[in-house]
Amino acid sequence: MNDEQTRARFETLLLPLMNDAYNLARWLMKNQEDAEDMVQESYLRAFRFFASFHEGTNCRAWFLRIVRNTCYTELGTRDPKHKQVPLDSEIDEIEDTSPLPSVRLSQKTTVAAVREAIAALPVDFREVVVLRELEGLSYKEISEVSGVPLGTVMSRLARGRHQLHLLLSDRKQHDQL
Amino acid sequence: MNCQECHDYIDAYIDNELDVAATIQVKQHLRACVECQQLLEARKAVQALLGNPQVSFEAPDSLLGKIQSVLPVARSDVKQRSRSRFVIPFPRFSVPLALAATIAIMLGLVYLTQRGMFDRSRGTALAQEVISSHVRSLLATHLLDVPSTDQHTVKPWFDGKLKFAPPVHDFAEHGFRLTGGRLDYFDGREVAALVYQRRLHLINLFIWPSASGHNTAAESFTKDGYNVSHWDRDGFSFWAVSDVNAEDLRAFADLAMQQS
Repeated sequence: MNDEQTRARFETLLLPLMNDAYNLARWLMKNQEDAEDMVQESYLRAFRFFASFHEGTNCRAWFLRIVRNTCYTELGTRDPKHKQVPLDSEIDEIEDTSPLPSVRLSQKTTVAAVREAIAALPVDFREVVVLRELEGLSYKEISEVSGVPLGTVMSRLARGRHQLHLLLSDRKQHDQL
Repeated sequence: MNCQECHDYIDAYIDNELDVAATIQVKQHLRACVECQQLLEARKAVQALLGNPQVSFEAPDSLLGKIQSVLPVARSDVKQRSRSRFVIPFPRFSVPLALAATIAIMLGLVYLTQRGMFDRSRGTALAQEVISSHVRSLLATHLLDVPSTDQHTVKPWFDGKLKFAPPVHDFAEHGFRLTGGRLDYFDGREVAALVYQRRLHLINLFIWPSASGHNTAAESFTKDGYNVSHWDRDGFSFWAVSDVNAEDLRAFADLAMQQS
């Protein structure tokens, strides 16, 4: 395959994933400018690794893993504390036992409020929630993208949804006051 | 199953990630336990709020250009490429040469058709065209000619634009929302393209009158990372293509087949 064919194939496979990549980066970086930079950097990296991409590989999971790692690397250089994320086991052993409030979530909750609640989640939970609820990835794909085992994906998702419910029902109570 | 186990499984349950045995156990527990039912409702409420497509961020229009400019190997964009095909210099003897080539190709086609080989290679070429058309519809702004979630708006829109009336159905209650339709052109004919949305993913369903008129079972395969499903029914050929997972596309194909 010559350079032009390689690039054409790369574009056919990966450009349609631009919105997925941007959405993930936007949620991890929390602002538009950084997200755009991360997506460009990810495309550059993906192009460099493209030789190692094999036909039949799940292209979306492959690329989103690159996007995810690009974002995490950047977050890590900015805030060294970020590197000391507690080990999986530590995060996942903290029991989140606060009972769910009995208020029903209003399905009229605004998009802005939902976004705010997602943004308030710790990054490890946010990542899993975004990949599942917004990107529609399977647990196995999420495990590939984030590099954590299936069981951890499951517990982070549970924890993330639980916190979202708390945040969004708090919000409702505020709105009513 | 007790409540603690049900709590552990509830997320995998609503995400259809449990095996059949565990799914049945969760269902049985839910029937008997009001508390766990409430947990299920709470999870579904969160999921419904996040299911609004507006919650996701869409890339700014300028990003595509920025990406293409940072990628190595300067390559002219798609438009320029297709234009350059037409500026091949024509020497004076090209007309008789082209004529001879055309005749040779036609003879070859007759031979291939008789050998039954043409149909198979045509199927592959068609699959490629269907995928290209899907990709084009995502990249360009030409995704929808008639943006509407109402099948009663989309169907009449095709009247007068096509020589056939494609079946149009919405499957929103099954998670495949009709978002509109457009005209597309490939395989030497005009085709109807219906666009459905599954979460953030788009499915293009191409429809045109089938050559054979027979009904066929859905044939599914993956090509270049896209899932494709194809079937003939009630005098129409259907091609569904998307980057949703194979299972979802099969579910979509089943729904569309039942309706038509």
